Amino acid sequence: MSPMGTVWQIAYREIKERGKSKAYLITTVLTLLIVVGLVVIPGLIGGGTSEYTVGSVGEGNEPIISAAAQLGNAADETDAEPSVSLEAEPFADRETAEDALELGDLDAVLVDGEEVIVESVGGFGDSAVLSLLQQGAASVDLEAIVSESGDAAADVIAVMTSDPLETTTLSGQEAGDESRGAVAYAGLLLLYMAVLLYGTWILSGVTEEKSNRVVEVLLSSIRPWQLLAGKIIGIGLLGIVQFAGTIVVAVIALEVTGSFELPSLNAAAVANLIVWFLLGFLLFAVMFGAAGSLVSRMEDAQNVALPLSLTAVVGFFVSIAALSDPDGLAAVIGTFVPLTAPFVVPVRAALEAIPAWQYAIAVVLTIAAIIGLVFVAGRIYAGGLLRYGGRVKVREAWRSAGN
Amino acid sequence: MCSSGAIHLCSTAVLALANLHKRYGDVVALDGCTFDVDRGRMLGFLGPNGAGKTTAMRTIFGLVRPDAGEVTWDGQPINADHKRRFGYMPEQRGLYPKMKSHDQLAYLGRLRGMTAKDAAASADLWLERFGLTDRRLDAVETLSHGNQQRVQLAAALVHGPELLVLDEPFSGLDPIASETMSDILREQAAAGKAVVFSSHQLDLVEDLCEEVAIINAGTIVVEGNVRQLKDAAPIRHLELEMDGDVGDLLDTLDGVGQVRSDGLRTKAIIDATTDVRGFLARAQEAGRLRHFSYTTPSLSDLFLEAVR
Repeated sequence: MSPMGTVWQIAYREIKERGKSKAYLITTVLTLLIVVGLVVIPGLIGGGTSEYTVGSVGEGNEPIISAAAQLGNAADETDAEPSVSLEAEPFADRETAEDALELGDLDAVLVDGEEVIVESVGGFGDSAVLSLLQQGAASVDLEAIVSESGDAAADVIAVMTSDPLETTTLSGQEAGDESRGAVAYAGLLLLYMAVLLYGTWILSGVTEEKSNRVVEVLLSSIRPWQLLAGKIIGIGLLGIVQFAGTIVVAVIALEVTGSFELPSLNAAAVANLIVWFLLGFLLFAVMFGAAGSLVSRMEDAQNVALPLSLTAVVGFFVSIAALSDPDGLAAVIGTFVPLTAPFVVPVRAALEAIPAWQYAIAVVLTIAAIIGLVFVAGRIYAGGLLRYGGRVKVREAWRSAGN
Repeated sequence: MCSSGAIHLCSTAVLALANLHKRYGDVVALDGCTFDVDRGRMLGFLGPNGAGKTTAMRTIFGLVRPDAGEVTWDGQPINADHKRRFGYMPEQRGLYPKMKSHDQLAYLGRLRGMTAKDAAASADLWLERFGLTDRRLDAVETLSHGNQQRVQLAAALVHGPELLVLDEPFSGLDPIASETMSDILREQAAAGKAVVFSSHQLDLVEDLCEEVAIINAGTIVVEGNVRQLKDAAPIRHLELEMDGDVGDLLDTLDGVGQVRSDGLRTKAIIDATTDVRGFLARAQEAGRLRHFSYTTPSLSDLFLEAVR
């Protein structure tokens, strides 16, 4: 069998055995449920029609209530269920209306079109109805003024709810491109999560083989780098499948519920995110794999993972800095350091704030770093795997695999 | 690679460890370790704990890189292709605990270059041989300790290796499992495989192996054919059980060393050169003789002599 054939054998075993393990299936299902829940539940809570009952004492309340309802529904799509429904309930006097408000039968009370009573201010639902009524009252007043010049109330409301200023940017972005920052941020967050989550999988996968001692049998037949590469490819693919599946489900859920409008992405932006996701993932996977070979017990695995997790945290923060200042010093330095580049470069690229030459150098440097790390990690891995006991020092592992 | 102490013919040696040196810091694990194994032969690799047995075995698979010296197969430094034709059972047993025994064996067969079909067939064959056919789809961790050992041995055999290296294959085995292990080792050697195994059960090794190598402090101190080694030993064991005075009788012999008696039976160590032919006749005259034996020293004796 060719050397790569062996690598695929190992990757295939990881996928087959781990993919059908309860742990993998449970985490996959849980992640999907959580994502769907995160998308759907706010829709269920926030969606539909918010119904308010407003007590009406005296005269002049009806126009305010109907204007408030109209304003509340101004942003709705034409066939959609109305967001807000306001119902007026007449009361003979202020006291009975206040009692009903106290009992929770009413959300607010309007008195003579002049005064609004709510149970308290600063509350969640009450402040929504209060602000609607205030706006309604303002628009009634406005209507009164403009009706003298012959304009209809509907026109007034239309003007009030429109977006009267067209936005242009100095950087030449088209309108709607502010979503790019959001996309870059989302991509960054996803890489960060994937590195920490699946990096830990690779780490524990390697430590597990060492702790159940199967590694000596394996290494009597194959080379350490083949085992490392096979594990990274196998576990990495499982991780990416779970991750991509989660993203796809999240996107579908967002589309179906319509609770968040997804920015449209062009192919270049998607390619940018995917390329850097893979580069970053590989870079950290190799390091986590080597770290896993240094310890023989899962309890010790956390210790060797810490420096790597911290590196990812640093990368994350440098790229947050790059989000607000994509041409800044931190962003430029982060571009040329392979450990932070996978976090920083896609953000700068998404914001169109990176010169092509910097982008190219960052890709080359990161790929070179991955190749270099495969060799370094392969040797640490080879030296660390058969040394049991506590935690093997990196230097010892390096030396014992040498000469 | 021909060591000076080797009694067998060099031309048949297929595995050769030559002048291996390995240090771990201040600890010397191997100090000029040299021995050969032939095709169709079984070598018992003996030595006290910490003498370097496991380190030496690991060098065969490149699991330990010697500081100096070389391991060769058919005269060539061992490469990745050779290693796939070797089977190894490490002292620290290890398998994937949650993997089915059949899948585990088939996977190891695949890693060593078998086709999927051959690997699956061979896995089933070995499971049948060990009476584990009905457990083939059970996770290894659910098997008893003895059955896990069997799967571990099958893992070393599944690809039909030309060389078998087993580190303490008998440790923890009950007498029945021990017997099965012996049968398999004999069978493998008879099929032309080179077999090396380490053990502390010297009686078993003596029974099983034609050849032994004894390592002490990283150096091979005794190597060769068990029979010839025993014949070449400078002492013999004499055992007597009789009525009458054994002490007086022994005084008639030359070169008598240590004498021990449990009141009934007397054991004496005598020089190999001492002629005992006349002694048996004298013993029969001296009283009723219930037991008489004159033997070469056991492997245990050779071992203790070599490593002291």
